[in-house]
Order: sequence, then structure tokens, then C-alpha cells
Amino acid sequence: MLEFPKSNRHASPKPKPAGAWWLRTRATVRQFLPMNVLKSLLWAVIALTGAGAIAFLALQRGETVNAAWLLTAAICTYLVAYRFYSKIIAAKIFALNPARATPAERLADGRDFVPTNKWIVFGHHFAAIAGPGPLVGPTLAAQFGFLPGFLWIIVGVALGGAVQDCVILCASVRRDGKSLGQMARDEIGPVAGFTALVAVFGIMIVLIAVLGLVFVNALKASPWGTVTIGLTIPIALLMGMYMRWMRPGRVLETSAIGIVLLMAALFAGRWVAEQPAFAPIFTLSGVTLAWGIMIYAFAASVLPVWLLLAPRDYLSAFVKIGVVVALAIGIIVMLPPLQMPALTRFTDGTGPVFAGKVFPFAFITIACGAISGFHALIASGTTPKLLANEADARFIGYGAMLTESLVAVMALIAACILTPGVYFAINAPAGIIGTTAASAAAVIGGWGFTVTPAELQALAAQVQESSLLSRTGGAPSLAVGMAHIFTNVLGGGGAMALWYHFAIMFEALFILTTLDAGTRVGRFMLQDLGKHIWAPFGRVSWYPAVLLASAMVVACWGFFLYQGVLDPLGGVNSLWPLFGIANQLLAAVALCVGTTVIIKMGKARYAFVTILPLVWISIVTLSAGYMKILSPNPKLGFLSHARWIGDQIATGTMPPGVNDAAAGARIIFNDRLDAALAAFFLISVVIILVESARLWIGVLSGRVACVSTEVPFTLRVQQS
Amino acid sequence: MTQALARVAALLRRIVGAPDYDAYLRHIAEYHPGSVPQTEREFLDERLVARYSRAGSRCC
Repeated sequence: MLEFPKSNRHASPKPKPAGAWWLRTRATVRQFLPMNVLKSLLWAVIALTGAGAIAFLALQRGETVNAAWLLTAAICTYLVAYRFYSKIIAAKIFALNPARATPAERLADGRDFVPTNKWIVFGHHFAAIAGPGPLVGPTLAAQFGFLPGFLWIIVGVALGGAVQDCVILCASVRRDGKSLGQMARDEIGPVAGFTALVAVFGIMIVLIAVLGLVFVNALKASPWGTVTIGLTIPIALLMGMYMRWMRPGRVLETSAIGIVLLMAALFAGRWVAEQPAFAPIFTLSGVTLAWGIMIYAFAASVLPVWLLLAPRDYLSAFVKIGVVVALAIGIIVMLPPLQMPALTRFTDGTGPVFAGKVFPFAFITIACGAISGFHALIASGTTPKLLANEADARFIGYGAMLTESLVAVMALIAACILTPGVYFAINAPAGIIGTTAASAAAVIGGWGFTVTPAELQALAAQVQESSLLSRTGGAPSLAVGMAHIFTNVLGGGGAMALWYHFAIMFEALFILTTLDAGTRVGRFMLQDLGKHIWAPFGRVSWYPAVLLASAMVVACWGFFLYQGVLDPLGGVNSLWPLFGIANQLLAAVALCVGTTVIIKMGKARYAFVTILPLVWISIVTLSAGYMKILSPNPKLGFLSHARWIGDQIATGTMPPGVNDAAAGARIIFNDRLDAALAAFFLISVVIILVESARLWIGVLSGRVACVSTEVPFTLRVQQS
Repeated sequence: MTQALARVAALLRRIVGAPDYDAYLRHIAEYHPGSVPQTEREFLDERLVARYSRAGSRCC
């Protein structure tokens, strides 16, 4: 009989898994399927789910889409991007090494350089980068429909924004926490460094002016809102004095008291708005509010930090994080259908919220949710000095930006759950839809979106505002969306007004904090720049210099704010694109610095991660800037708008919203100033690109030495 | 339970960026044992001013 070799199957049987049933199942599966096959399968499923969701969003026609599709597509994209794309930056480019000592360990001083747990640094970094930006931009871009904005948010962040944040954070950690301006000077050259500095100052001015405008548009003719926000000032003063003289350093306790007082302020606002004797006193015009916040920001930036600014900052950080989390939970629980279509007719450039076609203006309008140069300042600010382990930079740099992008997606969802008719009634300026519900309904009906005057008046009554028409700037429509979500999830139709004003208060709170913090930072920068011209100006504790510098900074942004308030097109129409261009300019600077760092490390073959977004951002910013300055369409180009106004006045007819020739002359001057500012930003982009490209060609061709400026490797001291 | 709450409280304080005087004192004790640390008020003042004098602390 043939002897067949005995099979080994029964020789050494695999050990039977032990433990609870799920452990046994998992162990059995693992015995037959190796781990990497399982992982690949999992990632394939995630990628396919995401791709499927995006395909559905892009191809569906007619029916309303559920927010769940957007959330699924977004989250799948973020997971895939984090797992695969950020790995290139962390492992291939920087080769982040857990054994390398970070500046927080080597230079520990108990103050700035403090090795901190990665979750805390993540939270700190996220709280620093999350501002009004991701809430306003997507809301404005919803005029194109939800699709262009959404695609830019998820693709832009994966390939651009998160890359920028991560690369700058890694570069800064390896250089002992150097700031972006310093890195630009050291890596590219003094011209780039100086341009970066001036660009940052310019961006701050435009940013503060635009946020001030959003604030004013949300609160004008709204006694409830004005009273509530007005009360936050004495609340912050009380908190400051409490923390100074009674309980030093007790931030949580004081913030808890502050939050309770905020809730009281919310109800106080309602009470005042319902008193016929008091309500008119607090029903303020845009101009009054503008002067109000200019005076407030000036005062807040010269008073001691502990009195007003710091307590506001803590309070708004807690409120911001709380509300964002609540909004996320609300959207996930409610899964609302989106009323806004995927694409609207305004992709052709005739939009009322801001002029311009989808390309390039959708990419300019949404900055902080996709790619934002300002974040590079944060990523090279306090965060690199806190990392205990440089491998955390991937999670913190890339991950925090992905989270902020998710906030932007949620803001987009909240804006798009409004019917298009209501959305445009709130966001279109009075110069286009008129000042009555009837005229608004007529104009919007002419665009193809149905809305009735009764509907608009009913909504205004529901949120206890006199009117919601032309409350441009994104904050009120977001507040309406958020109020819908919270009322839906937590119940109580009568609470809609409370939720609306709560949402307004939440946004206005941290806009106001950004205003006074930004004015203070702008003052420091101005004093720093000015001390070269007149030495005593740079003395930061000399009160005359402080007052003068603060006044100058407030005057700069106050001018743009004032111009925006008086603009018949609403101000946000012209200022937000200017802010977007300025922000993307700074992103271009950051990406140039990142590319230079990568090339000088000898990893030029991976430089595509920064060059890809850089090329895109440059094309977008330069096109948008060019169009804003030189487009022959008076609705789009600043100069042709000025020419059009001049022609109209010369023939004797007043354009809508312009009362006399003096007002017309002022508008012409503002248009020319805006054009000059846009031109300045464009020239700065070109300068940086040219300087950087020259350097890269030099390094790659061997003319310039390929020397990295990283601090040399030191082994971590192992904590016992 | 109170330990867990204290840890959460410390986490929230660090996330919001409240100056940590205890960490500073620990650092002084470990690295500069002979020197006199700043008082709490001096430390808080200096930290707050430092935070708001640069562009890297709060965003858009």
C-alpha cells in the first residue's frame, strides 16, 4: 500500500482561543486573516464609502439630500487623508522621531516651553485655530449651492490646509519654535521675511474689519442682541477683577460664574427687548454699533490684559468649544435634509452675497475650513513649544485642521438647511432685495426661489427680531440654522428665539474677543515696526506710545469697517473677498516656507505635498485679485465699480443706496483703496513666489548649498 | 472620583491656556533650586502679556 506522507494538519493543532466570545471571534479571525489584510480591507471599505457618498452628492438631482451624506463623505475623506497622506509628511519628509528631544524638553522653562500631553496640546491648538472663520466662510459660499463649498472644504483641507499646518508645525518644532516670519527670513531671505511681516499686519487689519462688520450686521436694529452682548463687557470686567483680587488663577471657577452670568444676560436681553420703553434705546444703527466697537476695542487693547481681555478669552473659549460640540451632536442626532440644492444659478457669478463665479471665488470665500494662512502663525506660535514628543506633530498639526474642517462642514450644513428663499432673504444686501419683505420675496422669486412675505415675517417673529432681511455676514443665517437644529433636538418651538439669540451671542462673543486681541497684537506689531522710525514708539510700557499705536491700529480697521457699514451692497460683499485673498496670501507664504524647508532637507521628491496646494492657491488668489481689481463688470471689479458710480453721478442719476454726490465720492475713494490693497496683496504673493522659486532652483541645481537649518538631533532624556 | 474630576479640570485649564503656576514652581524647584521664583501675580501677569503680544495665540 502506498504510504502517503502524513499531513501536518493534526500534528500541532492551532490553540483554541480563550476568553469572552468577542475575543475568541477576533482571535479566530486573526488566525486565518493576517492583520495587514484586515487593515487594508477596512481602509478599502472606508475609502469606497467616502467615494460613494461624494459620487452620490455630485450626481443626485432633484430630491433633497440628507446631511448624513455630507458627514459620511467628510469623515471618510478625513480618515483616509490622515492615515495615508499625513503619513508621507510624518514618515517620509520629516521622519518624526519619538526619540528626538523636542524644544519643550531641551529648553524647558516652566513658561512657554513646557512638555505637554498630546491630547492637551491638541485641544489647545484646536481652540486656538477655531474661530469665526470656519463658520462665516461656508455660510457665504452656500450661495453657490452646497456642492462647490463642500468639495473645496474636504479636498482643500486634505491636500492643502492640513498639509500646511502639519509642515509648518514640524518645521517650527525642529527649529526651537521659530515663528513663521522668522522662518521666512531665515529660509528664503530677508525680502520674504519682511513681506511676510507686512502681510500679517495687513491681514489682521482686514480680518478685524470684516469680523467687525459681521458683528455689526448681526446686531443692528436688534435690542435683544445688543443688550446681551453689551452685558458681556461688564461680565468680563467682573471676572477679571474676581480673578485678580479674590481668586487668582482660578480660571475654571471664574469661567463657570461667567457662563451663568451670560445666561442671565441672555434673558435680560429678552426682557429689555420686550419693554416698549427700553427697546428703542438699544435698537442701534450700524454706524452707532461700528463706533461702539471701535471705542471698545481701543479701550480693551490699552487696559491691562487681566482686566478685560483674558477673562473674555477664557469665557469665549469654553463657550466656543461647548457650542461646537453641541452643534455636532445636534446635527448627528437630527440628520436634517438640506434644502439648498447642490448647485444654484449663481455659480455664473451674478450672486447677491458676493460677486464672482465659482472659480475662483468659492475658494477665496472659504478659507479657514479648507486652507488658511493664519493657521500657520498658530502652528509656529505657542504650539511647537508644547510638544513633548515630535511624533505628536502629525496628530496635532494635521488632525486639528481636519477637525476644524469638520466644523466648517457643520456650518455649511446649518446654512443649507434653510430654504434657499430664506437664505437669500437673510444674506442678500438691501441694495439688491430692497427693505421690505414684499420686495425681497419678489426679487428672490424672480431668481427662481419661492418665498412669501408672510414666511419671512413669521420667521422674524419666531426669533423675536424686527426683521431678518439683509442681515448679511453669515452670522444670523447660521444662527437661524443652529436654532432650527437645537429646537428640533431639544424641543420647544417657543425656544427658537432663545436659541437664535444664544447662537448670535456665541458668535458675537468670540468675534469681540478676536477684535480686542487682534487690536492688541496689531499694536505690538506696529510698535515693533515703528521703533525703527522713532525709537520711543517701540516702548511697549510707555503709555503715550501705547495709546497712539492702538489708536492707529483701530483707525486702520475702523476705516474699513465704517466704509463697509455704509456700503449699499452690505460691505461683506467687497470686504470678505479681500480678507480671503489676504489669508491665502499668507498661506502661499507658509507653503513657500514649507517647500523651502523640504527641499533644503534633501527631500525634494516629496515637495509635491506643499507645491500642489501652493500652485492652486497662487492661481486662485492671483485670478481673484486680478478680477477684483480689473474686471470690467462693475459688480465685481473695484475700479470699474468706481467708474460706474462716477458715470451715474455725472449723468445725474443716483445709484441705489447712494444719497448724494458726496456719498458717491466716498464710495469711489473706498473702491480705489480696496483695489490698492488687493494690488498690494497680489504683489506680495508674486514677490514671495519669485524669491522662493529662485531659491529652489538654486538649491536643486546645486548653486546654493542644501543646508537644513534644523536644530541638531539630541536624544530624549528618558523619564524614569 | 475627585481625582478624575481634578484631572479633567486640569485638562480644561491647559486647553484654554490658563497659566500653570504649579508647573512653573515645579520647574524652578527641579532646575533652579537656589533661585527665588516669581510670585503668582507676577507670573500670571507676565504670562498673559506674553500671550497677547504675538500673532500666534488666536485665529480668525
